[in-house]
Amino acid sequence: MILTGKILARVVVALVLGVVLQLSFFSQVTLFHVSPDMLPALVACFGLLGGTMSGAVTGFSVGLLLDCLLIAPLGGGSLVLLATGYLAGAYRERFGLPKRLGAPLLCAALTLFAELGFGAVQAMLGEVGSNVSPLVLRDIAFKAIFAFFLSWPMYAGLRRLLRPALVEEPRPRRRPTAVGI
Amino acid sequence: MYRKQVRRRRAILALLILGSFALLTITYGQGSNGLQRGVSTIFSPLQSGADRALKPARDLVNWFDKTFDARGENSKLHGEVETLRREVAGAHSALAENTQLRKMLELDESGAIPSGYKPVTGRVIARSPTVWFADVTVDVGSGGGAEVGDPVVNGDGLVGTVTAVTGSSSQVELIANGPSAVAAKVVPSGIQGVIRAEVGEPGTLILDFLDSAKHVHKGQEVVTSGWRAEEISSGYPPNIPVGEITKASILQQEAQQQVRVRPFADLRNLEMVQVLTGGSRG
Repeated sequence: MILTGKILARVVVALVLGVVLQLSFFSQVTLFHVSPDMLPALVACFGLLGGTMSGAVTGFSVGLLLDCLLIAPLGGGSLVLLATGYLAGAYRERFGLPKRLGAPLLCAALTLFAELGFGAVQAMLGEVGSNVSPLVLRDIAFKAIFAFFLSWPMYAGLRRLLRPALVEEPRPRRRPTAVGI
Repeated sequence: MYRKQVRRRRAILALLILGSFALLTITYGQGSNGLQRGVSTIFSPLQSGADRALKPARDLVNWFDKTFDARGENSKLHGEVETLRREVAGAHSALAENTQLRKMLELDESGAIPSGYKPVTGRVIARSPTVWFADVTVDVGSGGGAEVGDPVVNGDGLVGTVTAVTGSSSQVELIANGPSAVAAKVVPSGIQGVIRAEVGEPGTLILDFLDSAKHVHKGQEVVTSGWRAEEISSGYPPNIPVGEITKASILQQEAQQQVRVRPFADLRNLEMVQVLTGGSRG
């Protein structure tokens, strides 16, 4: 990703908007008793579009902002989302931009990874009690499914927003003029 | 040139990972810190605005969710309504008797909020997005009188406790959070236990450490016990409704000394809560 001041501003706005939308909307609605989590998918989209560094840095930033706003111990969210963004970026750098269903499927898989990662960090901090319901697996699976659908418009929107900064993004072809120039 | 770029990337990645671990190490168990207070102060108006603006959209989505649920529960509820109608008649007379007794004993008639506590009403402005945390952020901070350890309730019963405070908001650990533990008793029998969470299932709590010689029954109410022993006391005042026992097999009580409890407060859909400020914290 080629970073200019304008692109950086767009990235910051997209990230802040994503976090506020998550906390004020998605976290407070339930579908089939599960609240969607769009943040791993958002970070994964950045990773898929910009590569490992973009994914890791946006993941770290989103995690830090999230922890600040939730008044949670700092670093846990950053660590998990940084890994999520990095993995998405690694995919992009190895296989190129995903096609058709590739991006939503990757976002769903990385949401699954992030939720398990959040659980691992919580367990590491001793915050997960001894009673863990198997329903947690169902909830994680639902979050991944929601991420699949949410990442569709998110990926397309971010790709459009960041188009001037994207490397290897094919430019739209110019129509030939009447004189053939 | 390429090698230099790779080295720089690796350095940034290592820095971010180390930074995450360092932040975790420094801030874990510290409550709120300066960075969080600053960010929270900046974002609070934005969050409150977004919260209010998105409420209709949230209500719409939640309506769909509740409609799905309601269809399944409709027939079950019909049966329960019949039973409850019969019980309400008995409850009315018991309530009248109760009111008279309360007057006789000169107790506080409402009894919902213990004396010494000042309830401050707040709105839930954020909720942890993952399935592992059961925390919410409310728009009552130290400016509103909230302090770490203040109990939090809503109209239905106990919700949780304040675990971190900034000037304009507080983090509330719900009773459905993994490490949460609430000293509770079953009424009217008075059998004591500890309410614990089952991670990933906020609709169910566990009343643990029961006396296996005494049995509790489905449908009995669980309230906070609010114990006090010399200089230490429970963080929760006594007699705040917590939930209702939903599953209480004799086998489970004797083998595991625990029963299942459904919390009165709908912990997945909290909107307004009351922070009980000013009480003694042992």
